[in-house]
Amino acid sequence: MQNHIKDKIEAISARYPDKKSAIIPALDILQREKNNNLSSEDIREVAHYLGTTESRAYGVATYYTMFNVKPVGKYHLQVDTNIPGFLTGADEILKHLEKKLGIKSGQTTADELFTLTEVQDLGSCGTCPVIQVNDIYYENMTLEKTDMLIDSLRKGIMPEPDKTSYYSTECNILLKNRGKENSRSIKTYKSNGGYKTLEKALSMKPSDIIAAVKEAMLRGRGGAGFPAGLKWGFLPKNDDRPVYLICNADEGEPGTFKDRQIMEYDPHLLIEGIAISAYAIGAKKAFIYIRGEFRWIAEILEKAVKEAEDEGHLKYTDIVVHKGAGSYVCGDETALLESLEGKRGYPREKPPFPANKGLYNCPTIINNVETLATVPFIIEHGVEEFRKIGTTGNFGPKLYGVSGHVNRPGMYEFPLGTPLEKILDAAGGVKGKLKAVIVGGLSVPILRADEIKGLKMDYDSCLKAGTMLGSGGIMVINDTVSIPELTLRTIGFYAHESCGQCVPCRKGSHTIKELLKKILHKNGTEEDIELVLKLCRNIKGRTICPTGDAFSIPVEAMILKFRDEFDALVSN
Amino acid sequence: MELKKMIIDEREVFFEEGKTVLQVARENDIYIPSLCYHRKTGPAGRCRVCLVEVEGMRGLQTSCSLPAKEDMEVKTHTEEIIEAQKLFINLLLADGHHNCLSCEANGECELQQACYHLGIEVPAFQVDSLKEDYDDSGEMIRRDPNKCIHCGRCIDACNSVVVNEVLDFGYRGRDVKVICDNDLPMGDSQCVQCGECSQLCPVGAIIDKKSIGKGRTWELEKINTTCPYCGVGCQLTAYVDKKKNHIVKITGREVPPNDGMLCVKGRYGYEFVSHPDRLKYPMIKKDGKHVRVSWDEAIDYTAERIKTIIKRDGPDVFSAFGSGRITNESNYAIMKFTRAVIKTNNVDHCART
Repeated sequence: MQNHIKDKIEAISARYPDKKSAIIPALDILQREKNNNLSSEDIREVAHYLGTTESRAYGVATYYTMFNVKPVGKYHLQVDTNIPGFLTGADEILKHLEKKLGIKSGQTTADELFTLTEVQDLGSCGTCPVIQVNDIYYENMTLEKTDMLIDSLRKGIMPEPDKTSYYSTECNILLKNRGKENSRSIKTYKSNGGYKTLEKALSMKPSDIIAAVKEAMLRGRGGAGFPAGLKWGFLPKNDDRPVYLICNADEGEPGTFKDRQIMEYDPHLLIEGIAISAYAIGAKKAFIYIRGEFRWIAEILEKAVKEAEDEGHLKYTDIVVHKGAGSYVCGDETALLESLEGKRGYPREKPPFPANKGLYNCPTIINNVETLATVPFIIEHGVEEFRKIGTTGNFGPKLYGVSGHVNRPGMYEFPLGTPLEKILDAAGGVKGKLKAVIVGGLSVPILRADEIKGLKMDYDSCLKAGTMLGSGGIMVINDTVSIPELTLRTIGFYAHESCGQCVPCRKGSHTIKELLKKILHKNGTEEDIELVLKLCRNIKGRTICPTGDAFSIPVEAMILKFRDEFDALVSN
Repeated sequence: MELKKMIIDEREVFFEEGKTVLQVARENDIYIPSLCYHRKTGPAGRCRVCLVEVEGMRGLQTSCSLPAKEDMEVKTHTEEIIEAQKLFINLLLADGHHNCLSCEANGECELQQACYHLGIEVPAFQVDSLKEDYDDSGEMIRRDPNKCIHCGRCIDACNSVVVNEVLDFGYRGRDVKVICDNDLPMGDSQCVQCGECSQLCPVGAIIDKKSIGKGRTWELEKINTTCPYCGVGCQLTAYVDKKKNHIVKITGREVPPNDGMLCVKGRYGYEFVSHPDRLKYPMIKKDGKHVRVSWDEAIDYTAERIKTIIKRDGPDVFSAFGSGRITNESNYAIMKFTRAVIKTNNVDHCART
């Protein structure tokens, strides 16, 4: 390994309590130095350098999708065909590229200029279709823009990406700085009181901050809605191990693109939230685990952390931005911990819970970006003000991402409990005739058009309506869409993302995918539909992590609610 | 230790604090199908087959990771449990190539045992799955990925039991496979062929090459004995074909001092036992030919020759080599004999050469 590469790896590994944690960043550094490719020899060197086994390093390199153990061309074009992309024409773009470049997905052109890959969920749901070229996201793509992109790349020029996206805010909390010039600079952030709340928090007793967050009933915005203050309260008392705070920024649930809004446009809001929360729980070190595809956002965060450090705001807590490398499952708390320890993203069995045995077996709290970014408001304005927003038991602001068949897909901040219809109106209304809505990211049960009337978008109301608020990623589906096709696309995502650790998820997702393919190709039978339902019923709640639920619940709902469409495919 | 009481399938059973429900069930001969748990590698939670129903707990639980508690009431074969167990095992059967007909694991296979218990004869459904070549590059071990159920026991054994650190999981999702080093053929990897993975594999995915086709497990007599290779005294079981009087296979016994582990010699170096050139009695070369003699004659002859040579050339022409294949006590006697009787310090040991 060349010395300058060693130096880079050395510098990164020094930021972790255990240098094996640096395996993903180290592989990333090496891949960039080696024309975007990783050889077996490179992986072996990383293993030896960081003191891990060759098989473990190779297992890591082949687990995460962003490592290219097979050579790729100069420009790696990745087309996201997941649900929001599928609803907005990503398939046509992929087909167009296949024709234009004369290669299929997974292949490289003879001149080694382009590699084309069909990928699953880049977190660009509101700005679909998206093509990722190396590190850059090209969003809001059309066939015409795709042609222009390829022509430019052929000339060796990476064009400027179109950053247009829709948003609005009724609460003015999480998106308060969104439209401001230089919204991500510390100067802008401080111009209206930024970091004052941190000062206030540092003068409070940590237990009072925890009590305030508990009383505010701030529910985790990652998807489960578990009260953050209660979670913090699970930390063991009188324990001499270090405590870690991890900000989960692995945003990967299809339909979800909310955390990136905060991180990209108001990074200091998140950093202040992390600093307050870390002080409250006694964490001297905090990590932001951000999905690796959001490279430019990670750079924004790193810059912001540096600014905050330079201005003396991070004296209590050291914040490390850690990039993942392509794995949906790493959004699960314990898979994230494994990944941060430099391993494959294999979820752990619970108990023990991370609060007792988390990162490096130490007490650890993992909170979502949006949750942590909400904390400063509670400390600044008090519990009472916070509880004025939203509905009982579901307090505070919420980011709702709307994608699919609406006129203005984008990010809308409303109080929890805002009617879905109001949010859809903010998103410019439905394009065409509404058929169904998935309200909380792909892993929740789909709702038919007739089920959404009067639905309030909060945790309890969604549960009552037979679905879940999840991440608040709303996918709107009009009547041009075939639900069996949507179902196949759904299971395709989870089968691609299953970590492969436990049988029901590894084999179950694949088997359901194959059965649905058979049904869609009109080779299926009534028994095949029943078998899919039986698999869903049995997988639910029986896998190591919630991924089993994440596919069995929506697939089951799609079949049960649109059974006639499936029956029609097997009727002959 | 004070025993606690719990109920499994309406039967009162007693257990020591710290055991899991699966362990308590096994200790009481209650069979719960399970594929990934092994005492030495611990609960893994990967197969999700060892499901049980617990009074007062929502949903089914994996018994391998569930601590047994006082007065816990557990059911192991409700309709709900059996449906899930059958389905998960069928998922494995549907997307793999599990064929018992000439499988070396037949009779000892934990997947087969679970199928038998649940009454699964053929997979209930089938999905297309490619057949992969098996890895025959290892000197002693064959790996057949088509039979692998990804329980991870081999990996945990390699990394945590024998600590050779060669095996791990590679790739993701349905493409997951057990890899050696950088996904090398086993024979090209750093593997020392200790065979712990083969011993812990619950199915026929990792097997001892030398045993292939040499006899089914139930046809062979199992003889417990001590490994003759070194002074550690590892305990092993020799699988013997009585008709041919040949050892067909060796496994380590899970008792002290080796708890099932063996080295490559102990596990695979057994042909010498029935080799025609094996030295079975003392011989002296007479008129250019080795002739069988009695032990007394052999010892007298050797003593006489040593005495003559030392008398003629002095004690330092003599040297003795101890052996790793004999006990410490015997090695001590060699040393004492060399220094005190012969009166030379020329004594060494084969492990140092």
